Amino acid sequence: MSRSALLSLLAVLAVSPATAHVLLEGKQAAVGSSYEAVFVVPHGCKGSATTKLRVQIPDGVIATEAKPAAGWSVETVRGKYAGEYDYKGAKVSEGIKEVDWSGGKLPDKTRAEFVIETYLTDGLKPDTTLYFPVVQECEEGVSRWIEIPADGAVHSHESKWPAPGVRLTPKP
Amino acid sequence: MRIGAALAILWLAICSATPAFAHASLAASEPRDGAVLTQAPKRVALHFNEKVTAGAVHLIDAAGKLRDDAAVDARDEAIVVAVPPDLPQGTSIVSYRVISADGHPVAGSITFSVGAPTATKAPDITNSGISGLIWLTRVGLYLGLFAGIGGAFFINWIARERAAATVIAAALGIGVISAVGSLGLQGLDLLGLPLSALATAAPWRIALGTSLGPSLLIAIAALGFGIAAMRVQRAGRMLSAVAMVGAGLALAASGHAATAPPQALTRPAVFLHGVGVALWLGALAPLIAILWGRKAAALPIVLRFSTVAVPVVAVLALTGLTLAIIQLESFGALVETKYGIILSIKLGLVAILLGLAALNRFRLTPALARDASAAQPLSRSILFECAAALGILTVVASWRFTPPPRSLLPDAPLAVHIHTDKAMFQVLIAPGRVGSDSFVLQLMNGDGSLLHAKEATLTLSMPACGIEEIERPGVRGPDGFWHVANVPLAVPGRWHMRIDALVTDFQKITLEDDFDVATQ
Repeated sequence: MSRSALLSLLAVLAVSPATAHVLLEGKQAAVGSSYEAVFVVPHGCKGSATTKLRVQIPDGVIATEAKPAAGWSVETVRGKYAGEYDYKGAKVSEGIKEVDWSGGKLPDKTRAEFVIETYLTDGLKPDTTLYFPVVQECEEGVSRWIEIPADGAVHSHESKWPAPGVRLTPKP
Repeated sequence: MRIGAALAILWLAICSATPAFAHASLAASEPRDGAVLTQAPKRVALHFNEKVTAGAVHLIDAAGKLRDDAAVDARDEAIVVAVPPDLPQGTSIVSYRVISADGHPVAGSITFSVGAPTATKAPDITNSGISGLIWLTRVGLYLGLFAGIGGAFFINWIARERAAATVIAAALGIGVISAVGSLGLQGLDLLGLPLSALATAAPWRIALGTSLGPSLLIAIAALGFGIAAMRVQRAGRMLSAVAMVGAGLALAASGHAATAPPQALTRPAVFLHGVGVALWLGALAPLIAILWGRKAAALPIVLRFSTVAVPVVAVLALTGLTLAIIQLESFGALVETKYGIILSIKLGLVAILLGLAALNRFRLTPALARDASAAQPLSRSILFECAAALGILTVVASWRFTPPPRSLLPDAPLAVHIHTDKAMFQVLIAPGRVGSDSFVLQLMNGDGSLLHAKEATLTLSMPACGIEEIERPGVRGPDGFWHVANVPLAVPGRWHMRIDALVTDFQKITLEDDFDVATQ
């Protein structure tokens, strides 16, 4: 085998493990309704075990409630929302902006799910993708699943660290 | 006293010549050469390594049309071209012809594309026909200064009798015509105009404004003194001496060598070199004439010249060596650069010239002293000297077209400017060539203020060559910029660069661009 062919084969092999990303289960969700976001973590950071998962709650997503996960403790960061929303007859302007699961240890190549309950306000635009930036911290290294394509377009296949997203559908 | 006043004027003219450094080179441009933009830029800025004067600067749009509505503005080291708002999609070309501080024009072009690149042809901005004439007038000017003025000085001070007067007068005349022609051609070259434009004032005016202007005026004045020295026998000695000083000053007022730093060293060196050349070459034609004519009277003149020639050769060698070291910077440049190759050829011819001079001094002159009829071998040898000298002048005149290695920009870092609404990244890549390069990432917000990033990562790739992403973290330096050292750029060509600036834990700004890596 020629040297350049060998090199390109090595390059392909080196790149392939990164093709599995932290994802949201379920392809779509309706605005103006409750949404259970299930984050799927398929592996650690470049072979290292996951020790913490941080999820940022985007604007327009309220009434967040983090579900406990076995072996992990949950913390939340509260803050002001970008606007004021009507929720179950009340006006809300602040709430959870970030959910962190920590204290556990998820070995590499082991799949796990982390769940939050939310409400998608009807100010969110249907037919766009809603992104939840995720920071995966490991024993060694950090993977930041935070890349959001410009103009609300879908991820280009070149994106290496795409933020997990869900396609929004009109209010039912 | 009139001579003293003339000398004072010559001295003032040279002192008022602006300080200068070297040939200008394009250091960077905005947008950079080859950039592909989403929308037309409002302006194109060309940044040079020194202050330049704008000659002919043109914008050719993607339709191949020369845009006369593009205003050109020179600001110190930059030339700014205002881009008309209705620029069509595709590749536009900005061709430039600017004047270096040393008076030499520098031409080139950059392209940028709006939308996608198209095949817009770069206009031919080399005036090859004029180049030949520029070279010819340069040779003519050297003939006037060296054979003409040097000849006038020789017959007045060393021979002390008229000889080869016709040849000297002809050389002086050729010198004046060449100096005037040189000025006009320089203007044409700067403005990119055809020969017919010599009838207009524009090329003359712009050429006079360059450092070549005063230099040629001094040369014309010096040649005038030389002509006067041939006509007015009584004052011949003083007039020819003034002409000689003027020849040296004319050469020291302009050109690559005279404007190289440190000028306190290079300008006097060029002056002495020029005067030395005139002393030597000026003697050749009259000596041949004297040897062919009255053989008995020739010996004392030849001996007098022999005495003068030794220190002259020493001065020529010393000043020539000094200037060569300053201009070349390295031995390798002798064969690796055009400038160095010309110098190598010149040195070869100089070696022949010195060989002939040594032969004349140590063999043929003593032979003449023993036997007055032995003039023929000496005059033949001097004729060969003339040929070698003419060869040197024609070779040296080619320097007009080659920048010395000193002024080339091998170590200027490659600058890449990436700009979006959100952010503005300036990336400096040193040395910007194949090998191990260091990167400096200057991250700024869209308004130019420093962007405070938590992390900055540089990712390089070259998809065309199958080189996948090389990812390197940046280290923030005390200057507030991010540094990435020892990045391997293994192959020349177009590389892709991505910079990720982590602004918060959950947000990063990513900008991407291509840049070209040169060989060597």
